[in-house]
Amino acid sequence: MALRMATRRLGSKLLPRFSSTSVLHSHATSFGFKEIPEEEKSRMVGNVFSNVASNYDLMNDLMSAGLHRLWKDRLVSKLNPFPGMKHLDVAGGTGDVAFRILETLNSVKSRATQDSLDDNLHEETQIFVCDINPKMLNVGQKRALERGLGEDKSLIWVEGDAEALNYKDNSMDGYTIAFGIRNVTHIEKVLAEAYRVLKRGGRFLCLELSHVEVPVFKELYDYYSFSIIPAVGEVVAGDRDSYQYLVESIRRFPSQDTFASMIAAAGFQKVEYENLVGGVVAIHSGLKI
Amino acid sequence: MYRTATKRLLLLRAPSGSNINIKARLRFPFLLPHHQNIDNNTCRFSSTSEIPQSSPHQTFNPNPNQHSTSTSTAEEARPQETQRKRRYVEYEDEQARVLQASLPHVVRLGWTEAAMIAGARAVGVSPSIIGSFPRKEAALVEFFMDDCLQRLIDRIDSGEELKSTIPSDHISTLIRFRLQMQVPYISKWPQALSIQAQPLNVPTSFKQRAMLVDEIWHAVGDEASDIDWYVKRTVLGGIYSTTEIYMLTDSSPDFRDTWSFLNGRVKDAFDLKKTIQEAQYLAEAVGAGMGSSLQGFVKRAFGG
Repeated sequence: MALRMATRRLGSKLLPRFSSTSVLHSHATSFGFKEIPEEEKSRMVGNVFSNVASNYDLMNDLMSAGLHRLWKDRLVSKLNPFPGMKHLDVAGGTGDVAFRILETLNSVKSRATQDSLDDNLHEETQIFVCDINPKMLNVGQKRALERGLGEDKSLIWVEGDAEALNYKDNSMDGYTIAFGIRNVTHIEKVLAEAYRVLKRGGRFLCLELSHVEVPVFKELYDYYSFSIIPAVGEVVAGDRDSYQYLVESIRRFPSQDTFASMIAAAGFQKVEYENLVGGVVAIHSGLKI
Repeated sequence: MYRTATKRLLLLRAPSGSNINIKARLRFPFLLPHHQNIDNNTCRFSSTSEIPQSSPHQTFNPNPNQHSTSTSTAEEARPQETQRKRRYVEYEDEQARVLQASLPHVVRLGWTEAAMIAGARAVGVSPSIIGSFPRKEAALVEFFMDDCLQRLIDRIDSGEELKSTIPSDHISTLIRFRLQMQVPYISKWPQALSIQAQPLNVPTSFKQRAMLVDEIWHAVGDEASDIDWYVKRTVLGGIYSTTEIYMLTDSSPDFRDTWSFLNGRVKDAFDLKKTIQEAQYLAEAVGAGMGSSLQGFVKRAFGG
C-alpha cells in the first residue's frame, strides 16, 4: 500500500519536470550551452566526433583517470549477457562495450560446461555495433583487429541513426548506449526506437555522464570539468571546442530522475538508475514487457 | 503480522486476479525493499533508486476503448484504476512466470542462471530479463521458498482434519509436508542452501524461514505473545533446519529415517517444554514456601 502511494507521489513529482524537458526538445535544441536549430545539432555533433575520433581513447582515459573502463564493466555486468543473445550497442563505435560483452560471453561459455546446447547458441550470438559516425566505427574495427576479434562473426558493425534504427520490432534482447544519448537531438525518439526493437523481457541500459549533487564534490567536479578538461583537450587533442562542448552537454542533459521518468514514459518498466562516483555517471536501466 | 497481511492480500486479489497474480503480489512486496537495501549497501559510492511507473501516460494504454463511452462516473473510474494497478505489477508477473518456468530445469541445471535462461526461453520471454533480478540465482531459490510457503498455507487453510490432532503430531506433519516439497530437488538442494547462506542473501532467507516457522505455529493454534514466542520459534526453526540437513544425506526409501528423526526431535522439544514447566512450578512452589516462612519470621520478629 505504502509502496503504491509512494509511486503516486513520485509519479506526480516527476511529471512536471518531464514535461519541461519535452518543451526543451521541441524546436530549438541545445548544443552545449548554445541554443541551435534542431537540424544543426546532428551535423555539429558529427563534427565533434570526427574531430576527436583519433584521440578518443586516450582522452577518455585522461579525463576519467581510467575510470571509464570500470564504468563500462559495470554496465556489462548489469546487462548480464547470455549465450545466443542479440544485442544492439548504439553509439558504441569504438567497440568498448561490445568487446566487453563478447569477453563476458566467452568466459561464461567456458564456465558453463553442463549444457551442451550452449555451444550452438554461442554461434548465434550477434552484437550489432551501431554508430552514426563512420570515423568512430573505423576506430572500433581497427581495435577489433588488434584484439584478434576481427574474424569474430558475432560482431557486426553498422552505420546507423539511433533515432531511426534499421531493425525489426521485437528483434533484440539487449540495448545499450554508453556516452551517446547526450549527443542525440531527440532523446524521446531514441528511447521509443529502443523500446520498439527490444523483445519482451529485453532490457535497455544507458551509461551516461550525469549530475553530481554531493555538495563539496560538486564544486570540485565543476571546476575540474570547466577548467581542466578543455585545457587538457587543447593540449592533447588540439581541440578545445570539442571538449568544451562535452562538458556543457553534460550539464544540459536531464537529471537522473528526469531521465528515468523519460524512460518510463517510453514504456519501459522497472526503471532504475545507479549513480557511480556520486553521480558523475549514472547507469539507467529499463525492462520491456 | 505477515499472516494477516497475507490474508488481506489474498482476499483483495481473490475475486479478480489469476493465481499467478496472487502469488506475485504476495511474493514481491516482501522481497523488493530488501534488494534495494542491499544494493545501497554494496558500494559506498553508488546508490540505486527505483523509479516506479509514472502511470498516467495514457499513450501506451493497450486498450483505449475503455475510456470512451460510459455513463456513470464510478463505472468509468474503476477499469482505469485496475488497469493501472495491473500495468504496475506486470513486470513482476512476468518475472514470476519466468521463475516458475525455471523450476523444472533446476533438477538438470541446478539453481543457476542456465536454468533461468531455459525458463525464460520456455515462456517466450527474452532471457535478458534475468539481468533485472538483482541477485539472480537467489531470486530463484527465494521464489521456490515462497511458492512452498504458499502451498503450505493453502494446505493449512484447507486441511480441517489436522485441527483435531495433538500439537506435536500436527507440527511434525506440517514440517514433513513442507520438506516433501523439496524432494524433487533434493540432489540440488545443497546448492540452494549455499546460495541462501551467502551474506547478501542471508537476510531474505532468514526472514523466509521465520515466516515459515511462524506459519506453522499459527496453524497449531499458538497465539502467544510473551517471551515464549521467541523460544518457540527458535526451537522450531532449529528442528526444521536440522531435519532439512538430515534429509540431504538420507538414502532410506521415502526418506523414512528423516521422518522418524523429525518425530524424535519434535517429541524432545515438547518433553523439554514439560521439563522446563515442571522446573518452573517447582521453583514457584519453593519460592512460595520460602516467602511464607519469611513472612512468618518477620511477623514474629516485629511482634505482629
